[in-house]
Amino acid sequence: MWINTPFPFEIPKGFPPPVYQFRNNLRTKQGFELGRKLFYDGKLSKDGNVPCSSCHQQFAAFATYEHRLSHGFNNQFSFRNAPGLFNLAWEKEMNWDGGVNHIEVQPLAPLLDPHEMAEDLNQIIEKLKKDKDYPALFNHAFGLPGINSQRILKALAQFTASLVSANSKYDQVKRGMAHFNQYEQAGYTIFLQKCARCHQEPLFTDFSYRNTGMEIDSTLKDYGRMRITGRREDSLKFRVPSLRNVFLTFPYGHDGRFATISEFLEHYNTGVVRSPTLDSSLRKGIPISENDRFYLISFLGTLTDSSFVNNPLFSDPETGIKKDAPVDKH
Amino acid sequence: MDTTLIIHFKAYVHGETLQLNKKYKNPFGEIYEISRFRFYVGKIEPVYTDAGLKPNQAPPYQLIDFSDSSSTMIEFPATMGTCNGIQFVLGIDSADQNQGAQTGSLDPIKGMFWTWNSGYQSFKMEGFSPLSNQPSHMIAYHIGGYRYPFSTVWKIKMNTTNDEVFRITNEYKIIVDVPVELDYFFDGATPLRIREISSCTTPGEMARKISENFIGSFTGLTLTSNP
Repeated sequence: MWINTPFPFEIPKGFPPPVYQFRNNLRTKQGFELGRKLFYDGKLSKDGNVPCSSCHQQFAAFATYEHRLSHGFNNQFSFRNAPGLFNLAWEKEMNWDGGVNHIEVQPLAPLLDPHEMAEDLNQIIEKLKKDKDYPALFNHAFGLPGINSQRILKALAQFTASLVSANSKYDQVKRGMAHFNQYEQAGYTIFLQKCARCHQEPLFTDFSYRNTGMEIDSTLKDYGRMRITGRREDSLKFRVPSLRNVFLTFPYGHDGRFATISEFLEHYNTGVVRSPTLDSSLRKGIPISENDRFYLISFLGTLTDSSFVNNPLFSDPETGIKKDAPVDKH
Repeated sequence: MDTTLIIHFKAYVHGETLQLNKKYKNPFGEIYEISRFRFYVGKIEPVYTDAGLKPNQAPPYQLIDFSDSSSTMIEFPATMGTCNGIQFVLGIDSADQNQGAQTGSLDPIKGMFWTWNSGYQSFKMEGFSPLSNQPSHMIAYHIGGYRYPFSTVWKIKMNTTNDEVFRITNEYKIIVDVPVELDYFFDGATPLRIREISSCTTPGEMARKISENFIGSFTGLTLTSNP
């Protein structure tokens, strides 16, 4: 039985058309809720303890709170810093290196990675088939009984593509509903001069891959985009991350090496390491004075979308929004 | 008018039918055995000598898997007419690589989809050789990648041996055999010595070269009619 409650996707004012338009995956309330339940369910991991939400925590804009790398199955570290999950419907490619070519297949990487959720697709399907609730929920969401990888992935995409963050103070200012204070305004002006070329509005990324002069970590040996394309010119290039919710997604960088916003701003000021693929705009770094830094941080604070991190629609369906302060459960 | 055509993929070593888990020697004298051998075929269609004839819509991608003999045949509706070959895509076309979650032969459960660098492998050959320095002396050629310049996806057009023509008709069934000779796979454009290359599991230049050897292992078509 297909219980199909339409659930239209709203494009925030000023945003471009999304890449993912729920084609062949009509967004319904039932599909969304199923995806949400799966996102928060440890059953998708080998030992039952590593749901998607263990590394993608809502109070951290769906990044991992205060962790350089995340913890996965059997006390292992992930390879990279978990990015926040929001506005994914606008991303043509996923991951720090752009290796994933479609939002629907994105979950396969953490689900099957032996360092992360470490599970096998057949096992996941078997566990869901045996569950008391899932068979009916899949039936309702897709109109026919049956659980397969495609349905799991499509349901998850209904949830993850719905994670829209577009109600920060910045957005309210743009809509004429709020005003920057003088520090924020000064920061915004500096931002437009020094940062906006790569962190383009309104999504605060241009989705390109760039070498920002971070020295290679000798233990991770992560060459970024080159791992995907096999091309030397892509060495050490990583996706330009969105700066939305940047106050919540610390630590920063593909390996989480910068603990604070001050640290990454100082990297651009004095820490850029030269190498053949270094982004041409960074040959001399980006001069950021003490004053600039103060103003920039004031502005970046306006990119925090508290209605997003407190939206009950995106919360754990079992527990809802947690009112207490974030607790490190690892 | 339509009838059906059957394409049958057959794997050989020194001209004899490949048996899985049996020891062979490649042209460099290296002992090996194959435990798993699969590849994707899609957009398959007959090549008509009469230019006015158009092929039917091609059947969906099929995973040819030599551990499951039923998967090695593709039967599909075909326009009747005179032909001198077939063409198909070996691997998954770039336009079909990024269409999201798939089912059927493209279900990631088939083990042919790379999760960290999205894309379907074009072919997969696994086995063992005492000359491999991998754990348990494994050999693993997981060959994929669909992006320029290291694409492993090929459009292949094959003529019948001696340019013999065949008729697709509803009077009898035609089976087109497509032989894949592993001797040519190893002794190809890039000599593939197990001692040197026992594993390739990422897209890139080496995968591209191994895929060139792989298409070189497809030799002339032969026909079996089944009146």
